[in-house]
Amino acid sequence: MGCALIALVVVGCRTPPRPAELPRIPKASTVEELAAAIAADAKRSDREPDAKIRAELAAEANNDAAACLAREPQAAACLYGRAIALGLEARAHPTRAGELLNAMLGSLADAEAVDPSYDEAGPARVRALVLIRAPGWPLGPGDAETGLVAARRAATLRPQYPPNLLALAEALAKTGDSNGARENYEHARALAQAQPAGTDRDGWLREADEALLRQSDR
Amino acid sequence: MAKLAGPDAALAFVPYAFFFQHGTELHLTPLVQADVTGIGTQERWTLVAKVGTVSGPTSLAGYTILSMAGYAPEFVRHAALQAWPLPSDVKIESTGQLLSALRRVAAGEHVVALLDQTQAAALPTLPFAAQLKALMQSPPLPVAVVAVVNGRLSAARVQALRAGLLKMSRAGDADTLGQLHLQGFVLPQLPGQTVAP
Repeated sequence: MGCALIALVVVGCRTPPRPAELPRIPKASTVEELAAAIAADAKRSDREPDAKIRAELAAEANNDAAACLAREPQAAACLYGRAIALGLEARAHPTRAGELLNAMLGSLADAEAVDPSYDEAGPARVRALVLIRAPGWPLGPGDAETGLVAARRAATLRPQYPPNLLALAEALAKTGDSNGARENYEHARALAQAQPAGTDRDGWLREADEALLRQSDR
Repeated sequence: MAKLAGPDAALAFVPYAFFFQHGTELHLTPLVQADVTGIGTQERWTLVAKVGTVSGPTSLAGYTILSMAGYAPEFVRHAALQAWPLPSDVKIESTGQLLSALRRVAAGEHVVALLDQTQAAALPTLPFAAQLKALMQSPPLPVAVVAVVNGRLSAARVQALRAGLLKMSRAGDADTLGQLHLQGFVLPQLPGQTVAP
């Protein structure tokens, strides 16, 4: 279950503007800085092969999320950050993944209720990815149909953001609409190509290309 | 299937539904039976319908049975539902999306769901559980078996392998078994077959 989250975090979080790259942001920092630190931990975790370091990153992210919520308990950035941190923890501790993913979904729902547009409709997008990638009932919270609804919400709210189209395409593929999936992968690819060059754009293009290749192989 | 039919396949670890469906065709001979964590060596399958729709096998005419074991229609008809002779027009389909299947059942579509033991035990956790009814349960059936493919192991190797697998649960292999979600292996006790130790 935890492995399913590796790709989730890559797609789920854009690289946020940060005051500085690593090392760690001091504890006494703003909500924005703490949220950026959590997102950076998620990015690092995705590239980190060492499980011990991934567990440390998850712990750091959870500490930052707790500090963020202590400052502003109702800030979408903190609620969303907590969800991402829980996702990292689920990957680090697969035996507890079920409960952690349910808590993650709860935090995403809270974040979406406060600000559905946060991180380019991030709460709905990440929710969709958890629901379509996690093991389904009764082993886990996975629910492709509900994931598709969340993905549509994200794509409706921010239709120009490639990861929202990628999430929608994945949800359509999972629920059996291969034509709809292909259209959205192609659309996501076109949108990504129009973005400035960078690692995010490269990642979106790679994901779209790989998915389109898989579809053409079928 | 293609791999098991290939010349290099010697052993297969498969769900009992697969064994039932393809065992003869692939010349599978049971070696041991798995003792699965949280389930055991046997499980019952449960047929679930919307409350007030299906009263017996004949009222399933025109229905579709959705199940994770739908890839093995012979297993569904003649093992899991052996006590419920199905009308000939019943369709059997495989699905990995049991939640979607159960939503369709609850919505009143002409579908029923065949659940394994883990799924049936979790049924009360669904918000629409009150709209669902368990129609019947299968007799206890094996969960999974390790089988020799097409007699490709010598009798001596079969004996040694069986003895080794049977010893695993007692020989401190908990970590290895745990990764496979297993507690150990037992001698196969398949319906209609017995294997001498």
